[in-house]
Order: sequence, then C-alpha cells, then structure tokens
Amino acid sequence: MTEAGQTHHPGLIGEQPVPDESAVREKIIRPVEGFATGWLIAPAAIWLFLILIVPLAAIIVFSFFESTAHGMVFDLTVHSYAEFFLTEGFFDSESNSFLKISVFIKTLGSTIYFTLLTMLFCLIVGYPIAYFLAMQVQEFKWQLALFLLCMVPFWTSYLIRAVAWLPMLGRRGLINQALLGMGIVDKPVSFLFYSEFGYMLALVQIYVVLGIGPIFFSLAKIDKAILEAAIDMGATPFQIFREIIGPMSLPGVAIGMIFIFVMIMGEFATAVVVYGGKTSTTGTVILNYYGIANYPFAAVNALMLMVAMIIGIVIILRVVDIRKEL
Amino acid sequence: MAKDKKKTSSKVSRRQFVGGAAGAVAASSVVGFPAIVSAADPIRAIGLGVSIINEIQSRAAKDIGFGIRGQALGYGALFGKTLNQNDQYEVSECYFDMFDAMVPSKVFQPIDTKRIRDWDKVSNLVKTGKLTPGSQIGQGDAPVTKLWVDKDGNPTDGPSQYISAVPAAHNADSLGYNPDDTGRAIESWAELYSPDFKGKVALINVPQVGVMDAAMGMEALGLAKFGDKGDMTRAEIDTLIEFLIVKKKEGHFRAFWETFGQSVNLMVSGEVALQSMWSPAVTAVNAEGVKCVYASPKEGMRGWHGALAISAKASGKKLDQAYEYINWWLDGWAGAFVARQGYYFSTPANTKKHLPKADWDFWYEGKPAAMELNDPFGSPLVEKGAVRDGGSYEQRFKNIAVWNSIMKENDYLVKRWTEFLGS
Amino acid sequence: MARWTPERKRKLRVKSGFSLYYIVFLIFIYGPMIAMFILSFQGRRGGTSFPMRGWSLHWWKKLFEPSLVGDMQGAMGRSIILAIMVMIVIALFSTMLAMAFRKKFRFSNVLFYTILAGLMVPGVLLSLGLAMVLRQLGISPSWYTSAFAVHVVWALPFGFLVMMAVFNRFDSSLEEAARDMGASEWVVFKEVTLPLITPGIVAAGLFGFTLSYDEFARTTLLSGEFNTLPLDINASMTQRIRPTLFALGTVSTLFSLVMIGLFLGIYTILYRRSH
Repeated sequence: MTEAGQTHHPGLIGEQPVPDESAVREKIIRPVEGFATGWLIAPAAIWLFLILIVPLAAIIVFSFFESTAHGMVFDLTVHSYAEFFLTEGFFDSESNSFLKISVFIKTLGSTIYFTLLTMLFCLIVGYPIAYFLAMQVQEFKWQLALFLLCMVPFWTSYLIRAVAWLPMLGRRGLINQALLGMGIVDKPVSFLFYSEFGYMLALVQIYVVLGIGPIFFSLAKIDKAILEAAIDMGATPFQIFREIIGPMSLPGVAIGMIFIFVMIMGEFATAVVVYGGKTSTTGTVILNYYGIANYPFAAVNALMLMVAMIIGIVIILRVVDIRKEL
Repeated sequence: MAKDKKKTSSKVSRRQFVGGAAGAVAASSVVGFPAIVSAADPIRAIGLGVSIINEIQSRAAKDIGFGIRGQALGYGALFGKTLNQNDQYEVSECYFDMFDAMVPSKVFQPIDTKRIRDWDKVSNLVKTGKLTPGSQIGQGDAPVTKLWVDKDGNPTDGPSQYISAVPAAHNADSLGYNPDDTGRAIESWAELYSPDFKGKVALINVPQVGVMDAAMGMEALGLAKFGDKGDMTRAEIDTLIEFLIVKKKEGHFRAFWETFGQSVNLMVSGEVALQSMWSPAVTAVNAEGVKCVYASPKEGMRGWHGALAISAKASGKKLDQAYEYINWWLDGWAGAFVARQGYYFSTPANTKKHLPKADWDFWYEGKPAAMELNDPFGSPLVEKGAVRDGGSYEQRFKNIAVWNSIMKENDYLVKRWTEFLGS
Repeated sequence: MARWTPERKRKLRVKSGFSLYYIVFLIFIYGPMIAMFILSFQGRRGGTSFPMRGWSLHWWKKLFEPSLVGDMQGAMGRSIILAIMVMIVIALFSTMLAMAFRKKFRFSNVLFYTILAGLMVPGVLLSLGLAMVLRQLGISPSWYTSAFAVHVVWALPFGFLVMMAVFNRFDSSLEEAARDMGASEWVVFKEVTLPLITPGIVAAGLFGFTLSYDEFARTTLLSGEFNTLPLDINASMTQRIRPTLFALGTVSTLFSLVMIGLFLGIYTILYRRSH
C-alpha cells in the first residue's frame, strides 16, 4: 500500500505529526508560553467594544423609545415590545381561540422554519461535495482549487447576481428554454421563479458554499490510514461513515450550519428578488420599519431575531463544542 | 404606537435628542480618501439615480462655477440619509411624500422664495395644487399641503414667503400592460383584479404606494369606498388587506417589485401582463423592443412630486451655493434632461426653451414623435410616430386621483402589509 | 503496472460518480452567472433579460467609460481599497485572537461570544445604531472609517473561526523545541509558527475581502459622502438596469478566477518554502 502514504496530505497548515493524547492534555492544563494574552486580544476587544457593543447597546435603548412619524423620541416605553407580541382583540373568532399569535411572531416563526429547511438542503447538497474534495481528490492543491471554484459565485456582487436570477429561472429564462428545446415541456413553466421552490433553490445556491468549507476542513483532518485500516478490517462504507467520518466531521458541520443559519435568518434580499416579495421574513420587516423611520420597532424585531439566533447557536454549540473539537 | 403620532409636537423632537454636537463638524468639507473628485470645494447633493446623474452635475458645475458632488442612492438609503444625516449633504433631491417625516424633524431649512430666481415660473401644480384652474387637487399628501412653511419651518395654512423645498421633477403613475398579453386596452384600475390576468399581475412592494394602487382597483370595482386613499382609517386598511389576502391566496399576483429596474425586467421578460408601473419604466420597456402601454385609467392617476431641499446644517457660502444650484435646476437645461427620461419638471416654460421641438411635442404635448427620439444618454428610446400614453402633461395632471403619501396609520399599514405578504 | 482489480474498479466508479456530481453542482451554483455572461453581450437595444436583441460588445465598452449614474469606477476603487483594508485587519486580528485562545484566560468565553455576536446583529440596525452614536459624538461617517470598522466586526467571526480551526490542529511541540533551543518568542513566531499557519491566515483574510466587498446593509448609513460599489449598484437600480452591470459581474468573476490562480501559485511557493 504505497498509496496510503501519498494520500495522507498535509492540509491547510502543512504536514505535521499527529499530536498524541498526552500532549493535547498537557496543552490544555499547562498554558504554553507565547505572546501575552492581553496584547493579543486588546486591539480586537477594543474594536468590538466600540463598534459592536456600544451600537448594540444603543439599539437596545432605542427599542424602548417612542416612535413618531419622523423618528423617535426618548420616552421609556415597552410599546414596541407590546406591538411585537400582542395582537389586538384577545379573542380570535376565526380559529375560535384566545390569544391570536401576532403577525410578527408568525413571521419570525416562518423565518426560522425556512432557515432550518434550507440548512437541511444545504447539508444534503453540500456534504457530498465536501466529502468529494476531502476524500476523493488526492492533491491538496487541487482540493483547494476545486473548493475555491465553488466560492467564485459568492465573490460576484450579490446585487448583480440578483438581477441575473430572472433570465435564469423566469418564463423566458435559460432553464425554460432548455426544457422547451428538449421537448420536456410544451409551454414555459412558471413555478421555477417567484415561488417557494425558486426561493429555496436560490438560498441553497447562494449559501451552500459556506457549509462546504468547514465540512471539507474537518474531513480533511481525518487520517486516511485509519480509513484504510477500517477497510482492511472489513468495515462496510456505512459503518465507516457512522463510526469515523460522521463523528469527525461534526465540528465542521456545526460551524457550517452556524454560518448558514445566521446568513439566512437575516436574509431579506432573496425574498424580494427571487420570491418576488411574496413572503415576509423578519429581515424584510426590519427593513420596512426602518424605511418608515420607526426605529424602535425595527430595533425590537432585530433584537428578537438576535435572540432567536443566539438560541440557535447555543443549541448547535451544545451539540458540538467547536472550541474543543475544531 | 400609531395613534400617538399626533402627540409628537408636544414632545422632545428627535432632532433635539440627537443633539447639536454634530453641528460642529457639519459642513466642514471632509476630504475623500482618496480624493476622487478634484473640483475645488464642491457642495454635496444626494438623490436617487434618476437625478444624480454625472452629466447633470458636471453641466451644473460648468454653468455655475463650483463643483457639485452628487451621491446617488437607492430609495431607502436616500430616506435614511436625508432624515438622519443632514450634515452629509447641502441639497437633498427628495420627494414631497417624505415630508411628513422631514418637516417636523426640521432636517431642512425653510427656503426663501425671494432667493429663487424663477419662482414666478414655477407651475401652479404645487403652489395651488391645481395645474389649471379646473383641475382637482387629489387625495393624499398633495405637494401643496407640504409646501408652505413659515420662517422657522413650521407648516402654514396658505402661501407664505417661505417653502419647505423647491418643487422639482414629478410624474403620474398608473398601470403598465402588454397589449398582446392582455388582449384588450386597460382603461380602469379595476382590471388589476381581473381573473383574466391571474398569475400575471404585479404590484409595487412599497406598502405606502402599493396600497394606493390596490385601493384604486378595489374602488373601481365598486367593492369599497375610501374616504381618503392617502390617509386611510384602520377599518379601511383592514378591508383592503383582507381582500388582497384572498387574491394572493388565489395566486393572482406574480410578484411584488421594489425598484424601477425590476419592474422593467418583469415586463420585458414576459413575467407579467399588467402591473403598477411608472411612466418612464414603460418607455424603457418599449426601448427594449417589448410592447408595453401605459394605461390612463378613467379613475385618474397616482401622482408623485420631487423636491429640492436644503439641509438645516448648510450655512454661509455653502448655503449660497445651494441656492445657486437649485436656481440652476429651475433654469431649464436640467428640466429638459429629465424630460427625455420621461419626467416632468416644475418650470415647463424654461424646459421648453432647452428641449428640441420634436421632444417637447412628444413628452409634454402628447403628440406623435416626429422622428426617432433618444434618451438623454444618446440611446434610441422612442420610435418615430410613437405617441406617449396618458396624453399631454395637462391631461395627466388635471386628473390626479391621489398623491403618494405617508398615512397617519402608517405603522398599522406596514403591519397589515407584512401580514399580506406573509399570507 | 496496476491491475484492474474489482476493488480498483469500484473505487474508480465511486470517484467518477462523485466527479459527475461535482460538475452538476458547479453548473447549479454557476447558473445565474451563465445567464449573466450571455446577456453581457446583449445588443445595443437590449436589456438585462431575455430575449436577446442581437449581439454586441456595446455594454463591455460602456464598462470602461464614465458611468451615467453615480461613479462606478470610483466606487469600485473604494470598494477594493476597503476590502483590502478589511482583509489585512481580519488576517491580523483573527491570528492574534486565535493565538490568545490557545491559552486559557479570564473572560475568554465572554470574548468568544462577543466575536460571534458580530454575525448576529442585523446589518441595517448595526448601521443605524453606530450612525446615531457617531452623530452624538459629532463624528462624520465615511467609508474608510465607520464603514470599515463595521465591516471588520462583520467579517471577524469568519476569520476567527478559521484560525481557531488552524490552531486546534497545531502541534506546539515544534514551538517548544525552538524555545528550548533558546529562541525568543518573536523568533519562535516568525520562524516556526508563522510559516505553518500562513495558508490559514490567507484564508481568513480572503473571508474578510469577500464579505467586505459585497456588503450593502452595513454600509448604507456609514459610508459617508462616497458610495461603495454595492451602494452604487443599488442606486443604479432606480434607473433602467443596463447590461453594463452584467459585464461588470462577468469581469469580477473572471477576476476571481485569476485570483484563485494567483492564490494557488502563492500557496505552492509557500508550501515549498515551509518544507
């Protein structure tokens, strides 16, 4: 088996011996020497404090302001929160029940639902690509090249790509032309665009690459010798996946899912362009209220969105402690 | 939330809250890094891509002897910047329907009509609300109701020496349609809901504007009567949205568009047969070789009116230059320029002087084009013999049913609109 | 010579299956770009959607002339400068932070989640919040100060997680060996650590570049008096959208492909040097 040696590629940080268990433990217990922590974290910490924490605090303060037609005035009130959670009329005659859920909670709910669904599709579509790159492509250089090739669409301005969706998926778009040309349909189909289908398709297309990267990264960590050994011992591909590949790629899956999760939760442009604005996401709600200068209410929606994101991320991190397993 | 709006005047205004500290750095010319524009000491103008056009600003600079640095923005960014960052511009090329937010927050300074050279030539459309004595003013935020202010920028009941902003480009919007797809001429807003066009209809996705188009249609169908479509009550909004939700669930709407370009592409690519549309967008569709007609519904059109406003932070030399720039806009060259994009300008007499006869006849008089006409950038736009739909300038603006507005129940409207889109 | 054993054949089948899937996947994610590419050769009278009205290089020529609305070339220049600034800071900060996180320190959890919070604050609101704070302080926003600062906050979590992953796989025995031989911290970093983590730093920096170059929501109220490219494109959509936009998109795609080529070249050189 001369191949096994060659296929053990160096990965992003160059070829190194695999650290043994005791060394790892030692690293954790006894701090290694190095630059002083304070100096390393100070610049970024100050930056984050000024540019993230302070404005975030301002947003929280704004959420308690009173909105007027021309902006907001200082007036400690939970008005905007009430607007978010409560609906007028405690009795809903339509469903014959008390306490109708407010439209904003519903919107947040459907945003979460769409996000989870898209994450699932991204995983299904993206995992095999990451697997292909890490396991089937032998040379690291080519792994990287093929991965970056997936990144290219991501580097083309989002706003430009948004305009290109219509000629791709529309009634006279490329797909319909191809379908017509091949005689699969006899008149253009319209479900491709301005539809839930098109919306999903677009979200997967845009964000799947954010999942592929981290998964590829953790798959590339797996020592191929272990896999060869498992095969030699007669393990089936399914067993290998369940016992070795699956668990070892979990941190990558977690990070990838976090990236996709936060991106789609805050998404608004795709809903407008590809779904033709036929849905409301919390992102579009924030934008709409921002647009009419109701900043307190936009802030409340943003904060609720953040809370949902934090809960999501905490759940993902509970499943996989990426700080340890990365 | 919404019902408290009337209280605003008694409370501390947002401007007081955000403090005067910004004044210190205001107008101080912040040099770009790297300095892309080298013109000495320019004034700053912000606006949409329809008026912040390089050719306009460089011509202005040539005519009036100092630079104008234009920053083109999208609609949302223009609104946000005009309201929140009046230290970032001297002149905002904005819209009268934004003024419910801008006037009370005092982000502009009142403009002295005595310093506007051609004030006499500004048409009556905004001064009295009536272009010709027989015209109707129209519902909603008619610009005349936002124009007059006192020396301190507070709205006044009638004419005064001061105005909130100088009237600029304007137009009347209605429906655009592809006659091949609809198979008939569209003469009423009611057609918006015709089952014949199911799945091939689009509305504008700006709640404040889309809701008016939708209301025009519902009223034309005789399903509802609105007191003031530019200022609906909650009950009226409910009626309308519930009707829209039913229609949406039937699959009546193909899409909701947000930008000019999107609406053009919807029509060119055959996605819709009929949609809310702006007149210049219809012209753009035609220029791309796709048939599109601009309807002139018997119920009237929905108008909007642009404005040239001066930031409250502008003072001294910058203020003089801002006045100079606005005077230049009224002088006619710019009016002719935007005319060839399909917009009207508030000083028609001056515009006429700068527009070739063939263009004037086509754009303002509603006559057939005597020859092929170009857009201001030199691309062919109108074929010989074509007629501008919607008739002459006068015909259009005599019959404005409603003006773009921000309602008192705006928050409630946006809430119900969110529900509509999410349904 | 290798024999065609059933095992080899099976492997080959699996591999070609995956390759085929990869190609289909590429076509899938490149879909809109294909439409964009074709339409950039739209005829003079055509627009940004099908049908084509003849073919021409008209819109490509327009790309190099001054733009009608806004200032596309200027905006692009600003966006590239801004993206490079963000790239450098992200590469630096991500590395420093990830190095700090190799050791335990007080409040490390707080810092960790604060970094991640950059992902979670909705862009328009962060933009508004900071714009209001700056107004209070009397500071004018501009693309190279406030927009730059916010872009760093946005891209930092991405770069940071990349560098965390790099250091978690890092074998510190090499560094310790160097220390034992009496090398100073700085020498250890420069001679041992840096060469090993350079590809990771480049990856983190690239994240910064990408995310900054395309950012719209976070820039709206913070770019000051000059537009970045996304703002400029957004403004141009209040007009008729012209195929020049697609020519621009095609150019940036080609540019990305060239960058990948360069990146590969740099990687190859660095990799050789580190051995």
